[in-house]
Amino acid sequence: MASPGYEEVDHTADIALRVWGKDLQTFLEQAAEGMYDLVGIEFAPDSSIDITFDLQQGPSETILVDFLSELLYLLEERAQVFHTFSFDIGTDQISIRAICSKVLSIDRHIKAVTFHNLNIEKTAKGLEATITFDV
Amino acid sequence: MAQITQKTFRKISDYEWEIPREYRSDMRVPVRVFASQALLQDSLNDKSLEQAVNASTLPGLVEAVMVMPDMHQGYGFPIGGVGATDLESGVISPGGIGYDINCGVRLLASQITVEELQAWIPDLASALNMLCPSGVGVNSDLSLTKAELADALVKGSRWAKASGQATADDINRTEDQGCLAGADPGKVSQRAMERGRSQLGTLGAGNHFIEVDLVTDIFDDHAAHVMGLTRGEIAVQIHTGSRGFGHQICTDYVRRLQGAVAKYGIRLPDRQLVCAPIASKEGQDYLGAMRCAANYAFLNRQLLANKVREAFERVLAGKVNHWHLRQVYDIAHNIGKFENHLVQGKRKQVCVHRKGATRAFGPGCEGLPDEYMQIGQPVLVPGSMGTASWVLTGTETSMQRSFGSSCHGAGRVMSRSQAKKQVWGEDLLRALKEDGIVIRAGSMAGLAEEAPQAYKDVDRVVESVVGAGLAKKVAILRPLIVIKG
Repeated sequence: MASPGYEEVDHTADIALRVWGKDLQTFLEQAAEGMYDLVGIEFAPDSSIDITFDLQQGPSETILVDFLSELLYLLEERAQVFHTFSFDIGTDQISIRAICSKVLSIDRHIKAVTFHNLNIEKTAKGLEATITFDV
Repeated sequence: MAQITQKTFRKISDYEWEIPREYRSDMRVPVRVFASQALLQDSLNDKSLEQAVNASTLPGLVEAVMVMPDMHQGYGFPIGGVGATDLESGVISPGGIGYDINCGVRLLASQITVEELQAWIPDLASALNMLCPSGVGVNSDLSLTKAELADALVKGSRWAKASGQATADDINRTEDQGCLAGADPGKVSQRAMERGRSQLGTLGAGNHFIEVDLVTDIFDDHAAHVMGLTRGEIAVQIHTGSRGFGHQICTDYVRRLQGAVAKYGIRLPDRQLVCAPIASKEGQDYLGAMRCAANYAFLNRQLLANKVREAFERVLAGKVNHWHLRQVYDIAHNIGKFENHLVQGKRKQVCVHRKGATRAFGPGCEGLPDEYMQIGQPVLVPGSMGTASWVLTGTETSMQRSFGSSCHGAGRVMSRSQAKKQVWGEDLLRALKEDGIVIRAGSMAGLAEEAPQAYKDVDRVVESVVGAGLAKKVAILRPLIVIKG
């Protein structure tokens, strides 16, 4: 199994996650996995269905916050968790297709994804950033 | 930029320090820190003061950015930060208020003695846990239509009064009488409305709690008497906010105002400080939506207070002489409000951002109920789980030095991951039980994250605000029952 492209970073009050990936798609997927890991999700393995949702194109930091905010909303309101993402990146929008599972329980509540000092950098690992979550 | 050290500060008093405006070229006002030297030193271990310096760059700030002794690193503004902006030239910043808009504390007093309650503590803990929806993903037992929710967003706690779920005292003894004027549901997204409908009347998780306390110490007999607090009797604290409704509003406007920053040519050291001129359409829209979230939170605590009263009635009616709970006060600690304050010696209306700071109006201030006019506003300072909480009153000094603001709690010193490495939830539960505290918690991991070791000593925080003259001591409360999501 490949090692994850994320690690938790110490933050006094909230939670921060260092994320990396070789390209934008991998980076976004790792950010989603990392956020789900922080939340601590138990999901029903046999409830998978495909789902598609769209995001507006824009700066990569905004895409990241929009993407994770959408996943948080779907987690909280619809009890849905996603994996095996595919991204269709267009000029005006990004269409995201993923496999969805029903959430049975979660350990921790994340209130929001912040823009705090958010800067996606090109590094030897591809793209890298630290994301701060409000908990 | 040089690192912030003790030498960066100009000492104003033993409990007040200033980072001068000259410290960094983009600062528009100084940063004023209220803390003992020891707490000031502790604050150098994280980025809270750097964040306060960042906040001091916002356009239209007046006087200074204030930081309370319970400060800790947040995002954008530090937790414990207070900043006031000019209504004409200044900005409103969602990052200066936070995601949990009007997160706050309500305190209820009783005439139940600890001796009367003792035998019923386990039953009361179970009743509170059963009746007050709490925890991650736990939804409301209400089913409001969109129109009903929109009405509630405009009326705040008064919406509950109309349906018999609030008394006149509940309303009068709530900051702003439980309702900010200017709430505009038309500025709230459909997604926020959806989240608001499913979560109204719920406690949530994280550091939110319901606590049954014993009044153990009284420092000001008169103020305590006016508030209805008596040594040896029971009180209840409710700590929660605007839930997913407020989180969504902040998310929506932090996103939307990214464009406004460029449009109005505002330069920011941190994108989470995103803001818009108060007078702009973007600023006005955010204010209309943020006030809806503030009213939602006042109503949320009111509905939970009713659930608490129901639990007390179910368990204690007929078994103790007086089981009723009377409101002491309800305060916000994440909010933006238009208030009148002294600015360069002149009284002026400004937009006060409080993020992890409590309003602490002194005696005689407009907006206080008649009974608190002489003693000043009750200031509620919950401690970390299992430790004491404080009841204070606001002072004239707080009106002069801190835009009528004080601390809001103990303040974290340890990250959540560190806390979980050092504390096992089950061990903590056992230790609290040995101290005579009954805990009902949804998650052992969540309990460990909120361990008392992860927080500053609330007594030291209170000594600092009292030493600085921002508040006066009234009473100490110690926990008997803690309900956490």
